[in-house]
Amino acid sequence: MLTRYLFVARVAARRQWFYRRELFWRSISMILFMVVFIALWKTAYQVSGRSELAGYSLAQVIWYLGMAETVMLSTSRSFVEISEAVKSGSVAYELARPLSYPLLQLARSLGNSAPRFLLNLMVALLVVLLGTGQLVGSVPGLLAFLLTAGLALLLDALFAVLIGLLAFWIEEVMPVYLIYQKLLFSIGGLFLPLEIFPLWLQRAAKWLPFQLIAYTPARAYVAFDVGELVRGVMGQLVYIGVLSGVLWLLWRLVQRRLVVHGG
Amino acid sequence: MKIWRLISGYVRHNFMAGMAYRGAFFLQIFGMMINNLMLLFFWNMMFLSFPTLNGWELQDIIVLYSIVAVGFGFSVVIFGNASRLASLITSGELDYYLALPADPLVHLLVSRMSLSGWGDFFFGLLLYLFVLPSAWRNLPLFLLLSLLAGLISTAFAVLTGSLAFWLGESEQLAAQLRMALLNFSLYPVDIFSGGVRLLLYTIIPAAFVGSVPAKLLTDFDIWWLAGLILVTALMGGLASWVFRLGLRRYESGNLVTVRG
Repeated sequence: MLTRYLFVARVAARRQWFYRRELFWRSISMILFMVVFIALWKTAYQVSGRSELAGYSLAQVIWYLGMAETVMLSTSRSFVEISEAVKSGSVAYELARPLSYPLLQLARSLGNSAPRFLLNLMVALLVVLLGTGQLVGSVPGLLAFLLTAGLALLLDALFAVLIGLLAFWIEEVMPVYLIYQKLLFSIGGLFLPLEIFPLWLQRAAKWLPFQLIAYTPARAYVAFDVGELVRGVMGQLVYIGVLSGVLWLLWRLVQRRLVVHGG
Repeated sequence: MKIWRLISGYVRHNFMAGMAYRGAFFLQIFGMMINNLMLLFFWNMMFLSFPTLNGWELQDIIVLYSIVAVGFGFSVVIFGNASRLASLITSGELDYYLALPADPLVHLLVSRMSLSGWGDFFFGLLLYLFVLPSAWRNLPLFLLLSLLAGLISTAFAVLTGSLAFWLGESEQLAAQLRMALLNFSLYPVDIFSGGVRLLLYTIIPAAFVGSVPAKLLTDFDIWWLAGLILVTALMGGLASWVFRLGLRRYESGNLVTVRG
């Protein structure tokens, strides 16, 4: 059974690779993002005369942002495909496949993310290295990053499928996605490591799943710590379980709601 | 005069088409406003740690965000098709506009409205009116500056979209360049050093969409305003010229489409 989904993921990954010119243009986003943030943080540290902020040196903050952005730019956009299939009615054809539709979408989403992730990682390493002139991180940090980034992409794919399925109830899911995306940017720790937040906000953010997608992998890379890693991975697994349950429930509701009028 | 009738007619038509799905329309506006508000969260946190960044404080950033949001919102609401220019060229869909008596560039630009752009527009306006002191007194200047920012961003979208006349499939490139303009315009130009700063005044003119109008609102200078108007006129002229130049290379796609 699993091999079918692996096959779907592999086809999606090969398709992404086939359109590598488009992938290349997308990686420019990474360069733009890093140019802005390297300039911003260099100015901030310079103007304030600080050598560190909440335990992060300038180079560490920049490496953190590069790693968080690598995950962010590789996240799923399957909600677009799902909501369009729902609106056009073509979801009916997908249901005829001998595969579970939500799992099919998850597999496709992860397949799409894999080549993008590798390319983004290479671009990030290059840009950050050129921007800071310093190599931050360690081999265990890199391995921890790869593990937590993989789980983060699965967690994000679950969110994307859930948002896509909302199209059964609301006409336009894009605003929901934009809000989700900005939650990742803000309390997810994409723009700023959580340690920079006021204490009350840090505590609140740590209970929410968004930091598990951006903060956890980036933090694992720049400041590797076994205890933190275990806590992060546990959090990711718990939320993957919770969201899978929600998805299962939502899919049951959807099936009751779906009416197919021939074609 | 005819052109104004065309623009106002399309705006009315597009607005009514959007309102046909009222729920989606308001959800998009509301979603975009929350989206923008959460971007400000970052600056709020940043200024908790660093009270000033090369002369920019939180209040200046709010002015910057207001102008960019109203300007960008205006641009995508009125000229919402600018973002599709590259794909219209490559798929041969320009034919429709070329066969009609109206100016093809203006006609194609206004024939679509981004509904979420209303969210940007209202977000910027409300942010400006309710957060900044003496906002009402400076409202005419604020609206003028936002209009100029919007026109520059529309002209830039036309220029980048027109690349498709020469490069063929270049939707992604055009989209990335438009995104670069928007992204860079939301940051104070003073944080960037020499090379990047020069780029933001020239090839990607983000400084004229964000920092320059924001500075003008807080620290008015008639010469800078004149300069900004001149840049807007030059960008508009250049966009129109490049589009017309590109049209000479355009080959019809012989695409048969039905337009409602």
